Amino acid sequence: MTITRTQFEIETVSFIAFAVAVSMFFLWQNNQKYRQFPIVTPVVNMTETAPAQAMVKKVDIASQISSDGEKKVIMKTTNNNTGTLTYVFSTADGSGDNEKEIYTTTLSAEETMSIPFNTWSPDNKYLFIQKGDRGFMVFKDSGEAFSDGQLFLDLTDLFAQRKTGHNLSEATGWGSETLIIINTAGEGEAKGPSYWFEVPSKAIIQLSTEF
Amino acid sequence: MAKKSHRQKTNKSRKKTIGYHLRVYFLSIFAGVAVFIAGNYFFNSQPICANSKTCTTDLSFSIDNDATGIFQGRTIIPPKINLALDNSNLSILGADTPSGEKHIYVDLSNQTIYAFQGKTQIMKTLISSGKWGKTPVGNFNIWTKLRSTRMAGGVGADAYSLPNVPYVMYFFHDFGFHGAYWHNNFGHPMSHGCVNMRIVDARDLFNWADGPSGSQKGTPVSVCNSLTEDGNCVQKNPVN
Repeated sequence: MTITRTQFEIETVSFIAFAVAVSMFFLWQNNQKYRQFPIVTPVVNMTETAPAQAMVKKVDIASQISSDGEKKVIMKTTNNNTGTLTYVFSTADGSGDNEKEIYTTTLSAEETMSIPFNTWSPDNKYLFIQKGDRGFMVFKDSGEAFSDGQLFLDLTDLFAQRKTGHNLSEATGWGSETLIIINTAGEGEAKGPSYWFEVPSKAIIQLSTEF
Repeated sequence: MAKKSHRQKTNKSRKKTIGYHLRVYFLSIFAGVAVFIAGNYFFNSQPICANSKTCTTDLSFSIDNDATGIFQGRTIIPPKINLALDNSNLSILGADTPSGEKHIYVDLSNQTIYAFQGKTQIMKTLISSGKWGKTPVGNFNIWTKLRSTRMAGGVGADAYSLPNVPYVMYFFHDFGFHGAYWHNNFGHPMSHGCVNMRIVDARDLFNWADGPSGSQKGTPVSVCNSLTEDGNCVQKNPVN
């Protein structure tokens, strides 16, 4: 009888100890949860009366780094939900720091803008961006205007003004620090000669070799 | 008498004709052998080069931070190279990729390079292959890696001299991969036979690929006229 009672006591103490241990574990875990979150948790804003979906503007971000990794051009595209898209272009360090806006435009959804793979000049002083299939705009890295006060050089317009008899088909990239390589198409879309566009002088020079 | 004389003449004439033909025959053989030997010597003594001025003399590591470069008749200031900064921000492609055989493919038709580790593609980017000299098609191994070197060649308006060419990996004579700081026209042929890459891409490939070590060859390189979707490297007239 004494043995049975001792056993009973041991079992009782064991159960109580186990229950206390389990309780302490849950208590500890609960405290951990509180520690993970700040005491003042953000309150969901319930004051919006318009449907939340209509207020959200989707922003797509694309970027292209320079060859040496020192600079980056960033394109943020915002769908305005009105059939238009707003494009914001900015330059930044390769790490993304020191971002500086250089150009903003809003276009219809049918028109597109993009950053070519070869956007940066080899010395990172200039960059060009693409509008549609055959539109090309040249900017200074700093976002400053060119000497004639223009924020950008419209390569397509400048080439058309030259009246070479060929149509600009693409700007492929940079042949050197200031030269953009232009390919052209002649009558019936046959490949025409290639040209250099020199940014500082805006000169357009026909080349003997095709790129 | 007259008949005998005529026969002698005919015999003499026949002998002359045989001698003449023999002389011509041996002379032709001699000339042919001479041309073959001279030609063989001439062509063998001309190294296969991407950079005609440096292909046999400057295939070595060099940094010249004070020199200027020339390309397409224009003076270029090369980027300065500080080796002390090389190990900071060191990124290695495929660091998280299961180990497997490394292989680099160059597709000349779309000016694209692919790097594989086993079956995992770890790099795909645009390059510039040979425009003024052909990039050799074939299967190679990287035979040396140079953090920086000088490349020079061409004549007249095409002459170029480029110090501090970064992240060079030669795979066939002086044809190799390297960063290009003098142009940014990747996706289009633009080199004298090498495979030009953006500096950031050349750096990543350089840090990932292996040079020869002991009896181990360097990372295999396949230069293809085109690379089919199922990974078949099409090579027309490979150099090896």
